[in-house]
Amino acid sequence: MPRARMLLCGIAASAVGFAGPAEDLFQTSILPALKRDCLGCHGEGQTLAGLDLRQREGLLRGGQRGPSVIPGNAGDSLLYQVLIGKGALSMPPGGEAKRLKPETLAAFKEWIDGGAPWADAGAVKWTYAPADLWALKPLSVSKGEHSIDSFIRSRLREKDLTPAPAADRRTLLRRVTFDLTGLPPAPAEIDAFVSDRSADAWEKVVDRLLASPRYGERWARHWLDIVRYADTNGYSNDFERPNAWRYRDYVIRSFNRDKPYNQFVREQIAGDEWKPGDVESLIATGFLRSGPWEHTAMSVEAVTRQMWLDDVAGAVGTVFLGMTTGCARCHDHKFDPIPTADYYRIQAAFASTEFARPAAPFLQTENTRDMEAGKARLQQSIEKTDARLAHFRTLAEERLRAKQSIPANQSLTPAENTAAMKELSAEEFEEFKLHQKHQQLYRESLDRYAAKAFAVSSGPMDGATDGGPNLKYSKRAEYTPADVNILAGGSLQAPGERVAPGVLAAPARYGGFPEAAIPTSTDGRRLALANWIANAENPLTARVIVNRVWQYHFGRGIAADTSNFGKMGAKPTHPELLDWLAQSFMEDGWSIKALHRKILMSETYRQAGGHPAMKIVIERDPANQLLAYFPPRRLEAEEIRDSILAVSGELSLEAGGPGALPQINEDVAQQPRHAMGSLQPAYFPSPEKRLRNRRTIYMFQQRSLADPAIEVFNGAGPDLSCERREASTVPTQAFTMLNSSFANDMALAMADRLVRESPSPAGALRRAFLLSYGRDATDEDIALGAAHLTKMTAFHRAHPAAGPAKQKPIVHTITSELTGEQFRFQQQERPPGYEENLHVSAVAPETRALADVLLGILNANEFVYVY
Amino acid sequence: MSTRSRILTASPTRRELLFGSGMGLGSIALTALLGQDTAQAGVLDAKSPHHAAKAKRCIFLLMEGGPSHIDTFDPKPKLTELHMTKFQKERTKFEANMNTGERYYVRSPFEFKRAGKMGIEINTLLESFGGVVDDVCFYRGLKAESVNHPTALYHLNCGNQFGGDPAVGAWVAYGLGTENRNLPGFVVLPDVAYPQGGAANWGSGYLPAYYQGTPLRAQGAPVLDMAPPPGMTPERQRANLEFLQDLNRRHRDQHPHHDDLAARIESYELAFRMQAEMPKVLDIDSEAPATKSIYGIGGPDKEADAVGRRCLLARRMIEAGVRFVQVVVMGWDSHDYIDKAHGSRLRAIDKPVAGLLADLKRTGLLDDTLVVWAGEFGRSPDNGIRQGTQAWGRDHNANAMTVWMAGGGVRAGSIVGETDETGGAAASVVHPLRDFHVTLLHLLGLDDNKLRYFHAGREKQLSQVGGQVISELLA
Repeated sequence: MPRARMLLCGIAASAVGFAGPAEDLFQTSILPALKRDCLGCHGEGQTLAGLDLRQREGLLRGGQRGPSVIPGNAGDSLLYQVLIGKGALSMPPGGEAKRLKPETLAAFKEWIDGGAPWADAGAVKWTYAPADLWALKPLSVSKGEHSIDSFIRSRLREKDLTPAPAADRRTLLRRVTFDLTGLPPAPAEIDAFVSDRSADAWEKVVDRLLASPRYGERWARHWLDIVRYADTNGYSNDFERPNAWRYRDYVIRSFNRDKPYNQFVREQIAGDEWKPGDVESLIATGFLRSGPWEHTAMSVEAVTRQMWLDDVAGAVGTVFLGMTTGCARCHDHKFDPIPTADYYRIQAAFASTEFARPAAPFLQTENTRDMEAGKARLQQSIEKTDARLAHFRTLAEERLRAKQSIPANQSLTPAENTAAMKELSAEEFEEFKLHQKHQQLYRESLDRYAAKAFAVSSGPMDGATDGGPNLKYSKRAEYTPADVNILAGGSLQAPGERVAPGVLAAPARYGGFPEAAIPTSTDGRRLALANWIANAENPLTARVIVNRVWQYHFGRGIAADTSNFGKMGAKPTHPELLDWLAQSFMEDGWSIKALHRKILMSETYRQAGGHPAMKIVIERDPANQLLAYFPPRRLEAEEIRDSILAVSGELSLEAGGPGALPQINEDVAQQPRHAMGSLQPAYFPSPEKRLRNRRTIYMFQQRSLADPAIEVFNGAGPDLSCERREASTVPTQAFTMLNSSFANDMALAMADRLVRESPSPAGALRRAFLLSYGRDATDEDIALGAAHLTKMTAFHRAHPAAGPAKQKPIVHTITSELTGEQFRFQQQERPPGYEENLHVSAVAPETRALADVLLGILNANEFVYVY
Repeated sequence: MSTRSRILTASPTRRELLFGSGMGLGSIALTALLGQDTAQAGVLDAKSPHHAAKAKRCIFLLMEGGPSHIDTFDPKPKLTELHMTKFQKERTKFEANMNTGERYYVRSPFEFKRAGKMGIEINTLLESFGGVVDDVCFYRGLKAESVNHPTALYHLNCGNQFGGDPAVGAWVAYGLGTENRNLPGFVVLPDVAYPQGGAANWGSGYLPAYYQGTPLRAQGAPVLDMAPPPGMTPERQRANLEFLQDLNRRHRDQHPHHDDLAARIESYELAFRMQAEMPKVLDIDSEAPATKSIYGIGGPDKEADAVGRRCLLARRMIEAGVRFVQVVVMGWDSHDYIDKAHGSRLRAIDKPVAGLLADLKRTGLLDDTLVVWAGEFGRSPDNGIRQGTQAWGRDHNANAMTVWMAGGGVRAGSIVGETDETGGAAASVVHPLRDFHVTLLHLLGLDDNKLRYFHAGREKQLSQVGGQVISELLA
């Protein structure tokens, strides 16, 4: 499949041609200048001297004086001559005062010399086969009974393939438990299913898993990948978004409660407008701010705003519509019928959207258990920092007083206070700045314990605007939404035509789904857009989500590019199936859980993870697109971490609340990282096991500090929308699984658990295989494990374990940006009260030996693959 | 069951093969570590360039923070005349707060001296570097777009102000593949502290993960978790691995058509050998003392020693077949005390960079290696709140900067472009940053318009929208 797609791209690319510098100049300089200075007389409403400059043909034909432009020869082109005022005629009228700026004249010269290419909006002619527009057409479902299996089998029959037999129950249970909850099945659950002889045994399993709170924790992760969720802003300071965690919990809740998808869409785009005063809906709008964002004294306000508008217009298209609207930022979409105007019309639907962080009382269901303790701990950090800052201020003041003989009873003027800071040595001042930066970061974080929502409002919300001290907002009463103009080449410096708020025109044009009228008032723009997206007649919305859900179950969408339903995306392998699923999904009240049930109850889902006639299948359907067998997969990064915690008995199932901090690689935790003007504080895991051993989805997502153990297993980056996790195999994964303190600590904890729970070494091994692989150990497994256990027991008896290493203060030497001198600073020490993991020196040699065996079991392929 | 007998008969020899010691660096697929997937064998193979080019690899010296062109390679005597002249800069829609309000022109606190045949005036602190400028092409016409560090750094490193796109090094590794399958295509040698924006500055973005920059950290373990935990002797680890691979082989026998299983078994074998071999690659003590000393290693300046080590390591990597090495030197953001702050930076890079160019020339590598020196933007001729006192520095300036190139295909010994009389803006041979990227690729035999990757609905490229080769920089 990838090869086929590449070929397609190659053809498309050569047919379309690429923007060169002259095209680029046209967009950024020529077209704006023509519109501003020429078209008033030569195009719009009148064509003086017979000259029409609205299209390239007009320039080539020219007016009464002959052709205006000779492509490739600016010097001989009349247009250029009159613009520079070289001959008898000079334009625009008004002499030297009205002369175009030298850089614009230079642009005209370069553009004409470069062939005077034209790339006007609307000039791009899309060429595609009707099949390219499949996603814009209404759903098409034939009459009669349908089922997933009948659709799948009819395609298999075309290739003369038969489906694989059903998977055995243990395999099936492990598959579905990971699929729905991201965790391995517990031994009791395996027993129950294997011994359940009732006809609805499978259905009961599916219902149990869908009803589990673990389900939402797994499926919310898929959504967070697409929307790029993180708890921090990214860029230079990477400030915390102190209330973002409430959006994460909102998503988990929505999946667990099986919130109708059309409601889920409306809430995230326009919850505040749709249900004013409803906290849940307000929290949902955090979606609109989920990309990286920052505004500092070094940013340009107009640019910051435009970057957000670009971000949100792209995100809405990608996430909900499977349309790469972002491609139409600089020019009309090269492949799909999305003119630049549509892109900016969607932006205009967000032109009245402002950042807000209003009060929003905690909901009954939200986890506020650690609020007070967490806040107290953060306040301690702030106090410590305050004390260090006060120390340096006092030091500086004392030195100034001594130097300038200022009496103790005379307070310092502000100027003197400033001067005093110069009394600090370079090294002292660097440390002062370090604490200042930390204080700034901590203060920002303090709000994570406040009952506020990381949200938006239509027009500034007086008293609750958000974005930091560098942004200015007008009062709501004096507010008018900014105009949105088409930006030539996406550049703010080249504003073109103004556009009214709107939606994509293509579904109306090609599928008959009408455009929606978006109001131009401050309020109601987003709600109108949301209603258009969440409309049952919108051909894209249901198809896109149903296809995503299919992909998460089978590893590949019915249309393989789940975020690109345009011409360049892969076409659906089973279009009728997709449409039927989309239609019944809506008939079931946009219920995701009903969709899961439909998929999981199919025989297609329940077939074996391999095929009896594998060679034939590989020959006829090498990528298993037709699903002759269930495609095996490697666990995702979060599943690996959560499973290790689960089987070791260390997993904390506490749900919700501000992000916890996991145990990560210590070098990375202590790695100095720049924040504007200074450095970020060191990273410390949450002291309580109850917090740091929670599921990965509850871990604090810091944009500038990814957990390397998640990253290495293809975790989703927080900056680009991730529609599908890759599963590459690289040796650095082996380092993480074999050598990391986390993996070794968990193997030891598991050994300790098994020794306590099992009467004999063989029993412990049996239990280990059952917990880790979801199956009973074979005699060979036990023999292999026992042999290694014996060997390692001998080793550990001969090699006593050393006690825990004393924590040494970490000192870094960094070059000061301010003075260029090196300064040394001691990294903060780990906060007190850390609940230590079990240490090797605290257990018997037999337990350490068992931990070695378990490390092997957890590293093995059978642990990280599901079939 | 047949599985058991297979283990008994086949495994001893296999173990010897897997874990036997004494293998040389050349025979181990460090690849690897670094990002090879047997299922994807071939992604790192050497590929033909789009056109013939002298340069086959690149060392990119990234000066983080925005080095001042005015105080390094583009002196402005006019500023001495204007020193302390006050003016008011309007706050326009396109200015950051930082650059507006009451401002003062400030002169450079540094001395300048002519160097090389071309007679370029450079900062006297760059004494050693002055000896190699005839191999260098200085370019004074480049313009960045953002005056904000993280966005400007992303722009310079990845061609896009938004984070998340592939880094230049990833594009080059993607375009040219690797000459040595035992090493990654793109290596980063960061400073002790990571820059703003972090590892996204050397990410592979939407390109396959194999092209991601592999950072070899300046402090702590160069590769994360490569060292086994305390108490894990080689003997114990070997025993654990044997057990693990026994489990894996038994499992694979039950799933003979699942290729990923073999790849993952292989990856553990590579990892084990890596632990022993990687330190040797990184060991620069095997270099001759004379070589080390020209890089400033072991000299009195500790920072020059640290930068020198990274530059020497860059040469070793290039020599071994790495396509793209990025050396990061932090700390050029001199808003204050530019005399001290830039002074220390210049001392820190003088010998290392001069040594690198001399060493590359000595070994013949300079003929087919491109060396690039650049920061994310230049600095302003004027200064805001510092009021021209002795503490003055310079603010950010996206309209002017100096970058330089050396090595294969570059017009050595020349100065291209110029800035206006105060150094506030580029004035001739002016090009946007994307043209610099296009030129860099061109020098490596790659055509930006052909070096594309389909992602999220469109063919993407380093320059985003296409650009122009700056022909004046070419030999």
